[in-house]
Amino acid sequence: MAACVLSFCVHHLPAAFASLPWVPMLATAWPLSTALCPAGTRTGPGASQPASVLVQVPSQVTQLCQQYSDVPPLTLEGLKDCVLYVLKLYDRIDLEKITGVNSHFMKDLGLDSLDQVEIIMAMEDEFGFEIPYVDAEKLMCPQEIVDYIADKKDVYK
Amino acid sequence: MKMANSLRGEVLNLYKNLLYLGREYPKGADYFKRRLRNVFLKNKDVKDPEKIKELIRRGEFVMKELEALYFLRKYRAMKQRYYSDINKTN
Repeated sequence: MAACVLSFCVHHLPAAFASLPWVPMLATAWPLSTALCPAGTRTGPGASQPASVLVQVPSQVTQLCQQYSDVPPLTLEGLKDCVLYVLKLYDRIDLEKITGVNSHFMKDLGLDSLDQVEIIMAMEDEFGFEIPYVDAEKLMCPQEIVDYIADKKDVYK
Repeated sequence: MKMANSLRGEVLNLYKNLLYLGREYPKGADYFKRRLRNVFLKNKDVKDPEKIKELIRRGEFVMKELEALYFLRKYRAMKQRYYSDINKTN
């Protein structure tokens, strides 16, 4: 997934550079620089215009990079969907039995402790970090997993 | 009770480690997972701590065997790649 995004970014960067509107940007740089620089520091048009161009180009490029390499931020809602999706992919769970995020793995879904270990492993694979055993043994329903991952990934809304 | 709990953690950890190792198993991860689960379920009623410890040691031995198996597989593949012409002449 990450590799896919990266290669996409790399493939599209040259095109992005090529399509950068150099000439219009030079023209628009002047009014923008008046907004950015305090009036007192400007001595003349010749001094401030090259500097403003230098400032403009990197910001454009970083913006493009961010657009291509950034994943959409995690939200509690998205996290919940993700966790439920992983659970649905797990073949020993009855799809009808997952009624909500509060169904207990052992009492409601009829799983055993080995299944629970496998579910935790699937979550580790999905979210890319290891869940130590002391935490893993307390995670007994989807909502608890969502809370735990949100806590670890600093997701609050 | 505390003793049993720590042993429980050890067993589940062993299961997890074996599952990780089993992903590379030549006959497929699913085959390995099924066998592993059956073996664990076969001994699920064992209550004696000494017996459990012995079984955990056996599991750790299996882990070492698996590692050795993968190492050997890698070694053979490397040898085949780099010394294939020598093998043909001999």
